[in-house]
Amino acid sequence: MIVSWKWISQWVDTQGVDPLEFAKRFTCTVAEIDGVHHWGHGLQGVLVGDVIGVAPHPNADKLRLATVDLGERQVQVVCGAPDLRLGMRVPFVPPGVKLPSGIEVRDGEVRGIKSPGMLASEADLGLSDDHSGLLSLDGVQAPAGTELTQAVDIEDVLYEVDNKSITHRPDLWGQYGVAREVAAMLNKPLQPLDTHVNLGTGAPVDVAVETPLCPRYCCARVAGLTTAPSPVGLRLLLRRLGVRPISNVVDATNLVMLETGNPLHAFDARYVRGGKIRVRAALPGEVVRTLDGQDRSLVPADLVIADGEGPVALAGVMGGGDSEIRDDTREIILEAAAFDAATVRKTAMRVGLRTESSARFEKALDPELAHTAALRFLRTLLDLCPGAHVASDLLDAGDFARQRPPTRVIVSHCDYLRSRLGVSKTEMPDAWIVHCLKGLEFGVDPQPGGELAVRVPTFRATKDIHHAEDLVEELGRHYGYHRIASQAPLIPSRPAYTPGTRLAERKIRAALTLQQGLCEVLLYGFDHDGQRQRLGLAEPGLGRMALRNAISREQGLLRRNLAPNLIAAVEQNLLRGDGKEAPREGLFVGLFELGRVFVPVAGRELPQAERDALDLGLPDLASEPESDPLRQAWLSRLGPEMQSAVQGVLAADNPLPLQPIRLGVAVGERLGGGAEGAKRTRPQKAVSQRVLAEAVAAVQSAVRALGKAELTVSAAADGTDPEQLPAAAPDWATSWRHPQRCGWLRGADGAVIGHVTLLHPDVRHALDVPAEVAVAELNLEALLALPDAAVSGQAPARHPGASVDLTVPVAAGVRQAAVCTAVLADLQAANLPAVAVRYLYEYEAPGGARSLTLRVDCRISERSLTSAELEAVLAAARLSAERHSWEGTRRSAS
Amino acid sequence: MAVAWQDELDAVRDRWVAAAAQAPDLAGLRSLEVEALGKQGEVTLLVRKVGSIPPEDRRAYGAAAAAVKGQVEQAIEARRQGLERAEVEAELADNSFDETVPAHAALGRAARLGHSHPLSQVQAEVEAVFTSMGFHVLDYPEVESEFDNFEALNIPAWHPAREMQDTFWLEGGHLLRTHTSSGQVRAMHAFRPPFRAIFPGKVYRYEATDASHEHTFHQLEGLLIDRHVSVGHLLDSMRTLLSAILKRDVEVRLRPGYFPFVEPGFELDVQCQLCGGSGCSACKQSGWLELLPCGLVHPQVLRAGGLNPAEWQGWAFGLGLSRLVMMRYQVPDVRLLLSGDLRWLSQF
Repeated sequence: MIVSWKWISQWVDTQGVDPLEFAKRFTCTVAEIDGVHHWGHGLQGVLVGDVIGVAPHPNADKLRLATVDLGERQVQVVCGAPDLRLGMRVPFVPPGVKLPSGIEVRDGEVRGIKSPGMLASEADLGLSDDHSGLLSLDGVQAPAGTELTQAVDIEDVLYEVDNKSITHRPDLWGQYGVAREVAAMLNKPLQPLDTHVNLGTGAPVDVAVETPLCPRYCCARVAGLTTAPSPVGLRLLLRRLGVRPISNVVDATNLVMLETGNPLHAFDARYVRGGKIRVRAALPGEVVRTLDGQDRSLVPADLVIADGEGPVALAGVMGGGDSEIRDDTREIILEAAAFDAATVRKTAMRVGLRTESSARFEKALDPELAHTAALRFLRTLLDLCPGAHVASDLLDAGDFARQRPPTRVIVSHCDYLRSRLGVSKTEMPDAWIVHCLKGLEFGVDPQPGGELAVRVPTFRATKDIHHAEDLVEELGRHYGYHRIASQAPLIPSRPAYTPGTRLAERKIRAALTLQQGLCEVLLYGFDHDGQRQRLGLAEPGLGRMALRNAISREQGLLRRNLAPNLIAAVEQNLLRGDGKEAPREGLFVGLFELGRVFVPVAGRELPQAERDALDLGLPDLASEPESDPLRQAWLSRLGPEMQSAVQGVLAADNPLPLQPIRLGVAVGERLGGGAEGAKRTRPQKAVSQRVLAEAVAAVQSAVRALGKAELTVSAAADGTDPEQLPAAAPDWATSWRHPQRCGWLRGADGAVIGHVTLLHPDVRHALDVPAEVAVAELNLEALLALPDAAVSGQAPARHPGASVDLTVPVAAGVRQAAVCTAVLADLQAANLPAVAVRYLYEYEAPGGARSLTLRVDCRISERSLTSAELEAVLAAARLSAERHSWEGTRRSAS
Repeated sequence: MAVAWQDELDAVRDRWVAAAAQAPDLAGLRSLEVEALGKQGEVTLLVRKVGSIPPEDRRAYGAAAAAVKGQVEQAIEARRQGLERAEVEAELADNSFDETVPAHAALGRAARLGHSHPLSQVQAEVEAVFTSMGFHVLDYPEVESEFDNFEALNIPAWHPAREMQDTFWLEGGHLLRTHTSSGQVRAMHAFRPPFRAIFPGKVYRYEATDASHEHTFHQLEGLLIDRHVSVGHLLDSMRTLLSAILKRDVEVRLRPGYFPFVEPGFELDVQCQLCGGSGCSACKQSGWLELLPCGLVHPQVLRAGGLNPAEWQGWAFGLGLSRLVMMRYQVPDVRLLLSGDLRWLSQF
């Protein structure tokens, strides 16, 4: 929205106000001014000339020679403008004048003919980008040779008001509304708009408003018109407000729209068929051809202006091409209406036409304004077109004309208004409040004691002013917010609450960055289609939140796991390097993310096994009964607001998805190769072991940071826990999981709260870089719900204890943890003094035979162990270990 | 006779004292010490020889032998101290050590440095400031209901913000929150007033991305509910909090701004740090930088939060955390924040 300093100065005395200082003040009082432009400046030296001779150029077809009368002298210049004609008034630029457009006119020759000066277009003078012809000064009352700036009032200051800052102010979409604010701001009177016009009698046309979405439709007929270009001053005014001048009739509609803010439309009366105008909803399948020559198919949500035969305009958006004003138009039907804001906006958006008109109607214009704008248009048109007359009464149709809504009255108190601003009665007396509101055309009835009944003017009532708080804003901005003194709030001190998850996030972040040397990333909440396909996520919709309007087709689903985006991030960083190391074999990248994933509650119909796999042990709150202790325990761990959020989720008809916070870790090591085809490199076992260990170490580091006992990693494939194995086929949720090289992360009670895995070889091969990658993902809330690690401050043991090592053959498929756990259990069951069984190392013979070396820690608190006791432990441990390696073989084979 | 053993004692003493004084190093001195003073050492044997001395000489011999042993011990000790000192002096004189050899070379493995995300760092810092001033830190869902994101915030159905072009809508009717303001009404229901809280988090806008636009970014909402809250209170809070966050004394300016959930609503500007308010290219010559929208909580929002506007009032603001990070670290492109690119992240 552009505001013209000169235009508003017609109604407000702006003498002595610095236009730049004004911009600052307006920004702090009314709305943000983005830019200030001086328009039409720097044209000193340009003269008004009359073309008194036109002759062909002897050496060029497209050039002509113009003889120009400048009063005291005549000059002949070369001119290329196609519209040059005898008798025309034009701007003449003498040699030596430098124009704001950058053109410097010289006393030179054009194609062999002397040309001391030039005739200028609007573009030459920097007034617009129109260089199709000369700026016509026809009708300018000044002797030839007068300075252009003397003859035409051309200089102006333009203010660019940020449209976003006036979306709630329909009244500020016209120059007069801005002038009203400025008058209040400067504490000056506002001159009324001249709307005096002699109306005719009788209806202009048969009008019926058949929809409540057009509260007011004003209409008049003007006859005796002669269309012609508007005077130069008007044309330039439209230009600088961004509107292309066309002809006096069209220009008058635009001028009055810019002035009042109410868009207008003029139909050529000859093409209003059947002498009828109907304002109605569009019929299905109807088509209207708009002014821009496009055929627009309509839907019943659109509002149209129809004549006796069909739609002739898209109401509030654009007029129709058939009834547009032409050179031979003699009679017009004027439309000045108010349309429903939402309807206009929806139609404008649907057909992709955001016009000056729709931009205004969608702000909810004051229906009073339509009538004022109609009168103002008639006044303006009669001035522009001396032969014309209003050939009808000004018809006023629509619900608004039948019954005006009552004036809105806000009852408040001066004390309340002041208290909300934080000013005293001395600073802002009652009288000032009344004066300020009256200046903004509010009706005020002050009562003794400071009570106020404030009548809201219609132009502020459609959208903006409803409550006493709205009056607080009016007073505050005109009083000046900079004058309000700061006051410290007196709110009582209470302990500040921070959710456990946030405290945990901070600890985990510190542990993983400082201890584990991992980097935190924050990634998008969407899964990328391409990535999903590479990870084998074949069925996109299952159990996921889908977007109705995705940024791109590839990002149409919300993430349900952190892993896919993390894997992609590891891959990208292994590919291009981490900024320190070149991307070569051995490059290590370790990332983690703390963030929410989205699990639709409707996902309940998924099979249980899949759901467990997906949700990583999140208690199924939605299906558990309220009294369920697990549910209660889980809820009690949440902060009050999360509790209410979760309860809300469970109670609502259309529950929000569960949005658990997860910790995701992805670590990768670049393998050798890199050339195409070498991506299928199989990582050495030691590399795989290392990469997986990094992921597990990260998880355990996070767990320790929260004061929880370390999680156990139970191998998903060790046969000890068949019910936790994922559904048979590589399903979409777990398709990146290596079926052998993965484990469940379990709390002390055995509940699964996450998993850790190397990538499935098919997924690893689909990466763009040869790499071994491990991912771990766990549920933060579930982790927090685990009991804290037991801590006690006992004195160190007096007797240090001893340990024995043993090496046993171990079958393929047996996990060391299972053996250690089983051996310890056996030893303790046999009352032997073993306190721990630890893995030391594993040896794999060239033939593939594995052996495992274990260490058994023994202790008796009262005394040292005897060698006989140690030997008993060793013997029992060996027996037990051999048995469990055999058992493992048997079970995994079955 | 007496002279004979005396001479022998003296000779032994002189020899060992001389030998000790000439011992080349501590190891030599140690073996010398064993030879002289060990169990079978020459001096030890001399002392033990007291049994073979005639009884009338035994006392004198014993005393003389003990004196010799003492003198040899002294000589060895003196030499040891000299040699130890020399060793220390030698180490002190040695300048061949390079203490700048990097850890990864000395340790034989790369020192791995982790980095937390700048958004997390800034968020944690801002949270600490607010916590220190008694604000709760709250965390609300990213997938929100239309009610909490719009209706409750006095953004009715016809409002442009509800249109497709600004909001990510989900199949089934919910949406990705377009602002952290969606937590306002949740907080009002969760806490008994008066209270003050911030809720930072991820927000989403349906828009094309470029260097200064991103469909996913981070905001921080602030909300204070009390019996009486004025523009003066808002000004004081904003000045105090922003001074703590920006780590300098800031001048703030309020100017009218329109947001349906506050009334009056403001754009808050801070005085430009670069020019100190006199105008420069960074602040487009205005002397002020637009920082955040804020205002007094709209009565409709209070009602949606179950509070009676006749009893309770409030202020609210929304701070762009992503923008704060970009300002602080001169980040040229907002898309770097969520890129996962270690070349960028490892700077923090």
